[in-house]
Amino acid sequence: MDKKDKSRDKGYNRRDFINNGVRLALGVSVVGTAAFTLKRSATGKDYVWQIDPLKCTQCGRCATDCVRAESAVKCVHAYDLCGYCDLCGGYFKPGAKLETGAENQLCPTAAIQRRFIEEPFFEYIIDEELCIGCAKCVKGCAAFGNSSLHLQIRHDLCLNCNQCSIASVCPSDAISRVPVSDPYIIRGSFTSEEEG
Amino acid sequence: MDQEQKIELAHRVALISGIFCGVVALLLILNFWHMKQHEPLESKTIEALVERLASEPGNEELKEEIRSFDLLARKAYFTSRWQVKTGTWLMLIGGIVLAVSLKIYTDLRARIEEPGKVTEELLRGRANAQYWLMMAGGLILGLALVAGFLTNDYLKEYQEMGVVAETGQDQGDVEVIELFPAQDAGTEASDEAVETEPVAEMNSETDIEAATDEASDGEPSGAQVKAATTQVRFNREDFKKNQATFRGYMGLGISYHKNIPEAWNGSTGENIKWKVASSKPGYSSPVIWGDKIFISGGDAQSRVVTCYNRHTGQLLWEKEVTGIAGSPASPPRVTDDTGLAAPTMAVDGNRVYAIFATGDVVAFDMNGNQVWGRNLGVPNNHYGHSSSLQVWDNKVLVQYDTNSKGRMLALNSATGETVWDVERPVHISWASPALIEVEGKIQVVTTADPYVSGHDLETGAELWKVEAMMGEVGASVAYGDGLVFATNEYARLVAVEPKPDAEYTWENDEYLAEASSPVAYNGLLYTATSYGVLVCYDTKTGEKKFEKEFNDGFYSSPMIADGKLYIMDMGGVTHILKADATGTIIAEPELGEEGFAVPAFADGVIYIRGEEHLYCIGK
Amino acid sequence: MIKRIPRVALVLVTLILLTGSFLHAQQRFPKPEFETGYMQPSPTTPEPRAMALEYFDVLVLLAVLSLASWLAIRKRSRRGLLWLSVFSLIYFGFYRDGCICSIGAIQNVALSIFDSGYAISITALLFFVLPLLFALFFGRVFCASACPLGAIQDLLVIQPISIPSWIRKTLGFIPVIYLAVSVLFAATGSDFLICRYDPFVGIFRMDGPFLMIFLGITFLFLGMFYARPYCRIFCPYGVLLGWMSKFSKWHMSITPSECIRCKLCEDSCPFDAIEVPVEQSYRAPEVARKNLRRFILYIALIPLLTIVGGWIGAKSHVFMSRVHPDVYLAELMISNPELREDEENLDIQAFLESGDTFEQLVEQAAVIREKFRKGSMAMGGFVGLVLGITLMNQVVFRRREDYEPHKGDCFSCGRCMDYCPVEHHKSTVES
Repeated sequence: MDKKDKSRDKGYNRRDFINNGVRLALGVSVVGTAAFTLKRSATGKDYVWQIDPLKCTQCGRCATDCVRAESAVKCVHAYDLCGYCDLCGGYFKPGAKLETGAENQLCPTAAIQRRFIEEPFFEYIIDEELCIGCAKCVKGCAAFGNSSLHLQIRHDLCLNCNQCSIASVCPSDAISRVPVSDPYIIRGSFTSEEEG
Repeated sequence: MDQEQKIELAHRVALISGIFCGVVALLLILNFWHMKQHEPLESKTIEALVERLASEPGNEELKEEIRSFDLLARKAYFTSRWQVKTGTWLMLIGGIVLAVSLKIYTDLRARIEEPGKVTEELLRGRANAQYWLMMAGGLILGLALVAGFLTNDYLKEYQEMGVVAETGQDQGDVEVIELFPAQDAGTEASDEAVETEPVAEMNSETDIEAATDEASDGEPSGAQVKAATTQVRFNREDFKKNQATFRGYMGLGISYHKNIPEAWNGSTGENIKWKVASSKPGYSSPVIWGDKIFISGGDAQSRVVTCYNRHTGQLLWEKEVTGIAGSPASPPRVTDDTGLAAPTMAVDGNRVYAIFATGDVVAFDMNGNQVWGRNLGVPNNHYGHSSSLQVWDNKVLVQYDTNSKGRMLALNSATGETVWDVERPVHISWASPALIEVEGKIQVVTTADPYVSGHDLETGAELWKVEAMMGEVGASVAYGDGLVFATNEYARLVAVEPKPDAEYTWENDEYLAEASSPVAYNGLLYTATSYGVLVCYDTKTGEKKFEKEFNDGFYSSPMIADGKLYIMDMGGVTHILKADATGTIIAEPELGEEGFAVPAFADGVIYIRGEEHLYCIGK
Repeated sequence: MIKRIPRVALVLVTLILLTGSFLHAQQRFPKPEFETGYMQPSPTTPEPRAMALEYFDVLVLLAVLSLASWLAIRKRSRRGLLWLSVFSLIYFGFYRDGCICSIGAIQNVALSIFDSGYAISITALLFFVLPLLFALFFGRVFCASACPLGAIQDLLVIQPISIPSWIRKTLGFIPVIYLAVSVLFAATGSDFLICRYDPFVGIFRMDGPFLMIFLGITFLFLGMFYARPYCRIFCPYGVLLGWMSKFSKWHMSITPSECIRCKLCEDSCPFDAIEVPVEQSYRAPEVARKNLRRFILYIALIPLLTIVGGWIGAKSHVFMSRVHPDVYLAELMISNPELREDEENLDIQAFLESGDTFEQLVEQAAVIREKFRKGSMAMGGFVGLVLGITLMNQVVFRRREDYEPHKGDCFSCGRCMDYCPVEHHKSTVES
């Protein structure tokens, strides 16, 4: 080995040394960040997006702002709260006749089915295939009824995006992350907490 | 298959799949555009048809039409959704085929290139990189800087207003204590006087008292001018004699003067004793005390209070409102139809009090020396603050409902210190407080969205409230026959008994005033709308007595004087009617210029502030 | 007392009042007692994806990264890496719909560090950390075959053209800014910028807003000629990976043993990430002296640039903070108070309905703005610092006698390995 080669080896050693040092520093910072994050907030819980029906103002953006063409938000019927009214504010247009013709229906896709049970009660069932999450019925029900129709994010459709694109445009901050163990916020006795 | 054929095949496949992808993409875009354009679920046609159906409910044909349209719309929507789904799958498959065939095509055609072409000289490349990095970095930082400088920090502006309000309040208090010991002594002295001779309080004679010598001795050496040396003791009769506040005695729109002129003409000068041009614009009304008449005005440069001799029109003094701690450097944005000096002043014989849209409240003595001034916090008001002041005994009452919060304050008239300051659950309003006397106690009655409420004069405590108003309340209340009347456009006209758990005695929403306040007199309630209708109701029942439509709308409020109702429309024409259930028109004299203020009455004369001038009318 | 009143539709106001006040009302119509034995159905509530599957994703990532490292460094197989990337594209891209991804996980980490109210999922944290650690030891193997965004672009490299280094270096500064801005936005809880403008997620899902799909197709089309454009011009995670990879312990090499400087690999890299040998002439005294002077100048410039960057960042915080919806709303309502009457403005109407006072909103906005002031300052300082270091690196000439991958820029895709004659010689000898 001649002199030149030696000096070259030395040079490489120095470079290796620096490289090792920086690598150690970078490694420590990555692991440190991870550890800090873990200690600070990671709970081992997973979260999904959900709408709080008490905050929802039925603005209609859920139908248009989901990343999916078919919004993952659909109307869910909390039957527990339903008054089974003949005149349903969620089903009929204001001032309409109580007939099931399209001219009287509020739902633009006719996704609500009305079924007679017994005098004077009617059941309202949502056809989820047709529902587009426009919240018209929810608004109607909130204004004139018991608020038994809720908008909810359907987890079979939701892609659980890192940032829900509806949440970022929701005017009332009604969409938030909820624990995956309790993925729906439906009022009535389905949930443990009764509204106050 | 040889190489050439393979290339040819790959080329063809790529071409076909490329065209396929392009067509599908085009169709998808067309579909997207079409849906955006038509939005079948929000169809206007159906909406229009349904509306028509509401007017002809029996029309079966129309129903059928709606149903078929609805079906069509839903079909269009779901078909389009299916198209998008199918289209994307086709795109994906086409895209994969295209990519693979292109890859094969280019790979097959690729030739091994001759090595050794150094495309770039290293040093030169590095130098270029440095140059462009610096350029790009500089550009980005520069843009950020420009953006930073060009952005207006509204939040900070807004908060500074708030901070100003707080510090202004503190400093105001401190200033008063430090600079006006004379004032304190004066008030103490008068307090003593009250204690020693309580009967004097109710005495109808004007009681003028010289300030004590100690007060004069304790004069501060500062630049501030010394306080008034004479004190007028509070006395109701003085307030009946002088139209000292907005809409006269207690702010209820009734004057106790007689012999008021019925004919004049501003253009020809008929019956005009004098007229002066106001130095600054202002929608506030003139107020009177003794021989003096006061008006306020303001523009972006300054706000002024002006005092004239009311018999001659001679300018006695005019003072700019300056040196108030916490006053904003530039006035807040107001609209032209409100301006900076819309609230009417109040005067009590000792001092004249003025408030401006800047949030400045100021008191001058009768000789024009500023006694105190403070800023209540620049009001967050999108037209401009316009609630007028009321004064009673030793309190100046300020209704201060802004977009930030609803507030009602009473200030010590001698020092400007806060006597009470209550927060109210109401939205912004432009109405002025009025005073009523119920069971021997004075209440301050205010109206705002949504409550009409009465407050205790001494503590500000809410005595009663009723939810009646909505929107932007501009008209103040009227009071008569034990009922409070409040009205606002788009809300309702209500009669309410001022007591806890108050309810509407009657309500009406046929004619609603926007800015003009109602007035109750002799069992009749008069109210005027901004579209020129004057209506009269029975105060007890709400039964309509008459309605009269005029050519011009009313912003100015009606005043009752000498059994007649005076109301000026926006064109400056004053309509004088008999204040009875017939409303016979007596005369309709013209001012010759536009007018929005409430006229002020004195014995034998009427003062009207027009857009440009202040007129004294009388023989 | 003059004002104008906007013509509000009374009906609408009433409706709003109604909905507002009845929202919390008790049941207006009591639930009926049925006599016909009607059974009340339950609402539809499909369960979300099981959590165990998320951990499975992490396992898959770990496996892919390990395999990729082995393929790149030991096996030296371009083909293997290619098929692995196809797998990742199908699994992480099309099957898992492109979410969660390591690039987006930057934001989750940033938000969880600065917002104690936000709990990061372990999956997201691991997705952030694992590729970085692998890069620290094995180079950017994540980019080679685990990233679905990289994979879809890599597969569509058709006719790459070589770009002059100064353009690459200048464009290469964009990701630094993108990283800084997206961390700032994420940390302040304003927006997840990276996710919002992820160009390929729409393609993976075969669904999405028009703009997203359009952006994705544009990138793919561009990528036929400018290889992996998103990775090289935008990817903020690539910045971090590049730093790690620069100091990686074992990085993929072009040649398995000794470089014979045949220049065959020179054009093989579609990303221009191969560094040619640095000739001795660059070390000539006059050049070296000039470079040394520059070097010292840039060293001195680094703190200055950091401070200036920080100052400018702080200056622009007002502007930046408007991305946050609360700040935006508060400022809008201050600057345009008449919008309170605008029935069409859903955000303002929803706020007015919410019952919060305006003061609360302003206070909240001020808190956020303060966060932005600090954050923008840090962000600006960071951008200045990186600019300084990048400039400094431009005058550092390392002696290099072999053809080597640029450890920071190399995606470890392994294309160059196929070009190396030594490789072929070796494999023929072995077989």
